[in-house]
Amino acid sequence: MKLDPVTLEILNNKVAAITEEMCVTLQRTGRTLYVKETADFACALAGLDGRFFAYPRSIGVSGFVGLDCLPSIEAVVATGGPLEPGDVILTNDPYRSEGLATHLPDLHMIEPYFHEGKIVAYGWCFVHCSDVGGRVPSSISPVNTEIFQEGLRIPPVKLLRRGEMSPEVRLFLDANSRTPEANMGDIRAMLAALAAGRRRVAQVVAQHGAEVLLDAETDLIAFAEAKARAVLSTIPEGTYNFSDYLDDDAATPLPVRLALALTIKGGAVMLDFTGSDPQVATAMNIPSRGRAHAWLTLRVLALVYTLDRTVPLNAGLLGPVSVVAPLGSIVNPEEPAATGVRHAAAVRVNDVLNGAFGLALPGVMPAASSGTVIPVVVAEPNAAGGRNVQVVEPMIGGTGARQGHDGVDGRDSGISNLANNPVETVEAELGVEILSYSLRPDSGGAGQWRGGCGMELTFRILTDGSNVLGRGMERLMFRPWGRNGGRPGAPGALILNRGGTDERWLGKIDMLSVRAGDTVTFLTPGAGGWGDPFLRDPMAVLQDVENGFVTVAAAQSDYGVAIKDGQVDKTATAALRAGQRGADHDIDFGPERAAWDSAFPPELMTRLNGRLLDDPLDLRQRRRREILERALAQLPAGFPRIAPAEAQARAAQDVLEAALGT
Amino acid sequence: MKEIMDQRDGAGVRIGIDVGGTFTDFVLSDSRDGRLAYFKEPSTPDDPSRALLTGLRSLLAREGLQPGDVGALMHGTTIGLNAIIQRRGARIGLIVTRGYRDILEIARCRMPSSFDFHATKEEPLVPRARILEIGARMTPRGEVLEAPAEDEIARVAVELRALDLDAAALVTINGYANPTVEADLAHRLGAAAGLPITSAAAIWPEIREYERTLVACLNAYIQPLMQRYFDGLVAGLAEQGVTAPLLVTASNGGSLSVGSALARPVDTILSGPAAGVMAAVRLAKAAGSGGIITFDMGGTSSDIAIATGETPELATRTDIGGLPLVLPVIDVSAIGAGGGSIVWVDPHGMLKVGPQSAGAAPGPVSYRRGGTEPAVTDCYLTLGYVDPAGFLGGRMPLDADAAHAALAEVGARIALTGSDRDVAARTADGALAVTTASMASALYKTLAERGLDPRDFALMPYGGAGPTHANRLAEEADIPHVIVPPAAGTFCALGAAGADLRRDFVRSLRLPLTPETGALVRETFAALEADGSAWLDAENEPGRPRRFERGADLRYKGQAYELRVALTDLSDAAVTEAFHREHERIYGFRDSRAEVEIGTVRLAAIGPADPLSAPELATAAPAEPKGHRQIFHRGAWVAAAVHDRHALGAGARVPGPAVVEQEDTTTVVLPGWSAHVDAAGNLHLQRQAQ
Repeated sequence: MKLDPVTLEILNNKVAAITEEMCVTLQRTGRTLYVKETADFACALAGLDGRFFAYPRSIGVSGFVGLDCLPSIEAVVATGGPLEPGDVILTNDPYRSEGLATHLPDLHMIEPYFHEGKIVAYGWCFVHCSDVGGRVPSSISPVNTEIFQEGLRIPPVKLLRRGEMSPEVRLFLDANSRTPEANMGDIRAMLAALAAGRRRVAQVVAQHGAEVLLDAETDLIAFAEAKARAVLSTIPEGTYNFSDYLDDDAATPLPVRLALALTIKGGAVMLDFTGSDPQVATAMNIPSRGRAHAWLTLRVLALVYTLDRTVPLNAGLLGPVSVVAPLGSIVNPEEPAATGVRHAAAVRVNDVLNGAFGLALPGVMPAASSGTVIPVVVAEPNAAGGRNVQVVEPMIGGTGARQGHDGVDGRDSGISNLANNPVETVEAELGVEILSYSLRPDSGGAGQWRGGCGMELTFRILTDGSNVLGRGMERLMFRPWGRNGGRPGAPGALILNRGGTDERWLGKIDMLSVRAGDTVTFLTPGAGGWGDPFLRDPMAVLQDVENGFVTVAAAQSDYGVAIKDGQVDKTATAALRAGQRGADHDIDFGPERAAWDSAFPPELMTRLNGRLLDDPLDLRQRRRREILERALAQLPAGFPRIAPAEAQARAAQDVLEAALGT
Repeated sequence: MKEIMDQRDGAGVRIGIDVGGTFTDFVLSDSRDGRLAYFKEPSTPDDPSRALLTGLRSLLAREGLQPGDVGALMHGTTIGLNAIIQRRGARIGLIVTRGYRDILEIARCRMPSSFDFHATKEEPLVPRARILEIGARMTPRGEVLEAPAEDEIARVAVELRALDLDAAALVTINGYANPTVEADLAHRLGAAAGLPITSAAAIWPEIREYERTLVACLNAYIQPLMQRYFDGLVAGLAEQGVTAPLLVTASNGGSLSVGSALARPVDTILSGPAAGVMAAVRLAKAAGSGGIITFDMGGTSSDIAIATGETPELATRTDIGGLPLVLPVIDVSAIGAGGGSIVWVDPHGMLKVGPQSAGAAPGPVSYRRGGTEPAVTDCYLTLGYVDPAGFLGGRMPLDADAAHAALAEVGARIALTGSDRDVAARTADGALAVTTASMASALYKTLAERGLDPRDFALMPYGGAGPTHANRLAEEADIPHVIVPPAAGTFCALGAAGADLRRDFVRSLRLPLTPETGALVRETFAALEADGSAWLDAENEPGRPRRFERGADLRYKGQAYELRVALTDLSDAAVTEAFHREHERIYGFRDSRAEVEIGTVRLAAIGPADPLSAPELATAAPAEPKGHRQIFHRGAWVAAAVHDRHALGAGARVPGPAVVEQEDTTTVVLPGWSAHVDAAGNLHLQRQAQ
């Protein structure tokens, strides 16, 4: 460290507070939904290497600590010459910013902060803006197949030159958005945030000197890195393999595989995603550019922070982390893959990291959380002949149980920590009547510690000709897994007119047409349990029954606890539990995944995906689809909900082996 | 009655009381002779009323007054807040619209941390087993959509009885849109179950079911405790012969009668800090200051509040032990360390202060109560800011040597070398620099949320450590002016003594602003004003002066958020213009074509209190220090003049470096700054002209 411990701590506090002050400035002056309600924005300070040395702790999007501004800065310098005071860079292009932006609605801005003619730091901020053009309003659709459908791409350019907004850039922006005024409002709010950062950085330089600031930038990153290494070096060394699936890729019913080999050695972590599926022809690809990108490393950050809450949030946290993300895979797609809903795949990336770290740290890591974020949207015709479009609720599930602790019911901050909508404000603005917004009994995976319950949302449509959108529905097929003998959570479901004569259980929907009087019920998955449920304290089971999280029937069947007249029947419980022990496999993925793996074993899938990457891009996806469809043809209808006979599974494997040429 | 009325008119003595963790503070204002007297009594946390009653007796005796001379007692209490934070309130139940049994479990769906996956959610006030469902709900327009039949009410009543509750709350979806329906149901259920039931819509008819449910639950949760406490207190006062009305200070900076406070105890939860801020605002106005930032530095933390005009800012989203409270409360933000915050070294070698606090027990090392880790107060001692023999007027001598030794040891861990005294001083100075920088950073953030500049404000410190630390904070944060009030250590009690009667009323409308709805808006304000008037009449004598403050939450149609706008003229044009103007002030533009929507309308009913006595200081001879001592400043020891605050008359000037001592606190004047005393006894610190 170049600075003394007092000065370093002072600067540590100051620079973090500057980023938070930038955020509150942005939030105060911004006026779109993404800024005000969902806080889908962030601000930070980057050092001369383009990496963040200061990041806000409690406001804005938490996961972008690991982003890198340098490629965007270099791209602008290469085309437009050196940066000058008052210049501000704008970009939204995942490919040309090398993963600074990860989908087009995120507008990223960078301003160099100067002192006496030299750059001493960069201010950075981003906002998820309302619309950047493209095929659909709001620019995001899971079924976009190329980034060209997703809107205007802005390579890193100077939006401001010496404090003046470039009229040409502005013309392009205005002409390519359905909401140019709202976007300009967001841009103004970002400029206000960057200006706030500039003033405070200048104040720090005035108080402490530019040299001290520059030293602090490197010291703070080194400090965080040392702390991260100290935490990571407590993890048993070794290589830990884990894979998980998304139910499908939004366009075909084929599941999407994410695989990880996690290697821990000497306080360093390597994440090797080899074996993950090739990039998909929908918008779920994560444009990491093969880096230790924020979307691939969030769980490592969370692990370090969970085990040492004093660690400063900055790029140093990722110093010990390296990533292998094969080019052309879902975690490092080739241009022009669409990336609009990259967060959908990131949810599962989080799960595989959680799973792999859990093999190393079974007492620290939880079982799988519910792993789904569904903004349930209703679009209804309005009097003016248009449509009211409104989020009813962002539906999530619960968090996984961990050793010694039940999961949390109806909350999950794993990927996004969004607030829900008050039912009353929704009903005041939309023609729906929300009949139930509650937790889902028996959905949390059974275990010595119970997984968090999923949720239920039931609403009645009051206007004919309405549509319901349920994007992000996941884990309808592959359940949130349980750990160390804990059971998986219940899968999600969607039901039309539940309990009526015309009740229908629907699978995943993109858009559902409904009539006045219809009721729609979303059930989100429960999270995984931890440990053998037959070891759960009967009094804890009784309490769950009293509170309605577990039914009397499930207490008996899942936990071996007999409850009679509101009391634990000790004799009957002892009899139920005698000799019974949960299966002792480490991870319980549930029967669907077991069926799937019997026909598509992990090792074979890893080899197949490796082989597919050798094919050129246009062939890759088609070949994968052909191979999987051929294999599926060997399997029973309803697979993987229906388990295959051994011969059927063998036949499917043979198809894969044949495709591999072995 | 006549006698009481006379007293309320200013003929008697008003006594403000603040019950703190360590001391119970009293301020007595006697309008007959203009006297303003202060008193401190050690608190009795097991039963706060004991210290209150003992202290009151001692104070009256000291001042030569009889119990009958007391015209009014104004009292703030933290009983409710502590019960909520420690989850030690009543055994309550909750009745909700069918389908919403998990309203408290789901809350707003957020976790306290996005990173820490070991973090867990707040413990709900009511476990799910004590939450019952009932078939009752409204439409957003206030029509009854579903009402329970008699047999369903009877069924719920039976279930309520079986739960063996002290109290319960009722919330129905959209109940806010027509509060009398829910209030009526609460009444019927309560009668059938033999239980006090708080109706959420009646107590706070604002849209947002979860937040409204919490208001009702918190109210029910602390009501029985408050009842017991005030019953005991009133009886104790009567025993002493004090029959004056007892007023309870409220979180909004006002006060309520005991009767109102028992019906709506949730209004009093944050009354302590609110009273201090109100005292600061009144004092700043009298001193002719513009905007102020209050700086209350106590044992465990420092809090600030901001007042740009005559009223401090109100917040409508405050965190109470992990639960959001939407009632309007004086907006107080924590910005960092207190006197008991611990100075320590991170395993990777950074010097840290807090957030752990030694509190009052064991306290800082120098208290000699078993504390082994140095705290911020030990730093003051080591730097010469505080006289070890003069702490609390000499009632509690401090061990300066122990503080030096502990800090020297911390200094060695960050590789400082030199004499022990020198290392201890440099460590203490470093720790205060760390603390001050993080306070200033937090203060900037709080100002940035409002778009304000620190240079436009004066800092008003109070609490035990506020005046000691204020000059350092002002220098770091570039605040040009510090005003240290005369009785900085009993400031919350002063605020209580001067509190107005005040209650807030709301109603959520959610309507576009048109000529038809404009009339409805005015009718709603008239109805709220009638409620407010009726309340003031019941609190007070009819006919006393009163005023109403009005405001509304407005937005452009389609916007996701609302702006709170103060309203004076309620005509459609004026309301619309007030919104456009506020939008322009904050966002830099107005959208004259857009339709304006009105959300929640708000009214505060205020019965102004009589002004407190404001004794004037005599003009005195130039300030003569009572001695000198060394203080450590920027790496060197400098000689500072030591003054006795009481010896400083109006107009006295004290150039820094100096220390001004009084019984309950010490003010530090840094080199480069100068202090002068005004006629009201305030000490003004300003940068010396170069």
